Amino acid sequence: MSLNRTDLNAIADDYVLGLLSETEAELLEELLARDPALEARVAALRDGLLPLDLSAPKADLPDDFMDRLRERIAAEPAREDAAPRGVTITPVTPQADNLPQAPRAKWRWLIAAGIIGLAVGLGTGTLRPTPEPRVVAVLMNASGEPQAVIEDYGNRDAKIRFVADVTLPSGKTIQAWTLPSPETGPVSLGTLDRVAPAVLTGPSLPEPAPQQLYEITLEPAGGSPTGRPTGPILGKGFAHIQS
Amino acid sequence: MTKAESCPVAQALHDCAEGDAGALERLVALEGGRMLGVAKRILGRTDLAEEALQEALVRIWRKAGQFSGNPGSAKGWVYTVLRSRCLNILRDGKRLSLLSPEELGALQDAREQSVPEEGWQMLAGSSRLRDCLEALDPASRHSILLAHVGGFSHGEIAARQSVPLGTAKSWIRRGLASLRECLS
Repeated sequence: MSLNRTDLNAIADDYVLGLLSETEAELLEELLARDPALEARVAALRDGLLPLDLSAPKADLPDDFMDRLRERIAAEPAREDAAPRGVTITPVTPQADNLPQAPRAKWRWLIAAGIIGLAVGLGTGTLRPTPEPRVVAVLMNASGEPQAVIEDYGNRDAKIRFVADVTLPSGKTIQAWTLPSPETGPVSLGTLDRVAPAVLTGPSLPEPAPQQLYEITLEPAGGSPTGRPTGPILGKGFAHIQS
Repeated sequence: MTKAESCPVAQALHDCAEGDAGALERLVALEGGRMLGVAKRILGRTDLAEEALQEALVRIWRKAGQFSGNPGSAKGWVYTVLRSRCLNILRDGKRLSLLSPEELGALQDAREQSVPEEGWQMLAGSSRLRDCLEALDPASRHSILLAHVGGFSHGEIAARQSVPLGTAKSWIRRGLASLRECLS
């Protein structure tokens, strides 16, 4: 299941107008970071419509506004760095899915599938000799909402990016896992002390397989004490192989 | 010239990404008043608008580094972050449930008035956008303005214009296609 260019452009237009749900918008931003052509299209429409924002009458900020803002910033646990801007992707996967007419709940799945669908287009459209992920897994929470995307490069490195506002309580760590086979059991790919894009360097593992399980769990600070997942699952999903 | 050198807002974002807290204050001095105005227009209430602006600025602080590779303008990015926080508040039933029915009614009235069918021209200033909007059929134009300026959803736009959802969607789609062509 994947999206064609026309569908994507339409979704991107809706994004600029503010017609997507928060999750959909987060997913689209995930796509934008991977798709310069789409990002340029969004930027052009956004800047074209900017006079509509700039026409708003100015309002006076309350006197304590800056103080309140400073307090909030001081309470921020960690800053999110610039997302790694990885591979250039040319999506070429014509499909008949008529997305705009699809029921709303379905969108999430379609867009999540779209991330994979786009990445599949890599084989034919790569412009740069950047390493390509061997598999991509979209990790969903228990309600089926995408939380994060893991790209496994199969060379011990995996990249993780978050597509939802995942909460990390203080004193906790997010740990990423994969299950290469039932015999080996879950293997840690690495830990994260903040909700930000990261490169995980795990142990040397066999080449990732289709439908291999990936998940992220909430663990005590520093990671699971047992070497196995112990905490609640924040998201899980299966690997989609990249051709 | 880099983006940061040519525009004070881009410079402020660049410095935010470097962790310069003074840069956020500069951004507020540059755009804060207008940003609050945009938030009030969408949310119809000053308290909600201030909350949206606070949230937006925290997010801008956190994500400023992501702007560096963006092909668009710094202002466009800043207002996108703001509008998305506003829409989030608007579509978050839990937050609005704190309001009484009268307050909710007043909020909807205020939002309604932010997107007039007559005299919409003031929304687009004296820009090229205004000419391009002028060239659209009125239904498409009004739908696009309801979405962008008022923060109305597809469903709300359809209801306001008394047409089926699909019709509202196709008005918007058609209008944006013409608009994009006209602006390019």
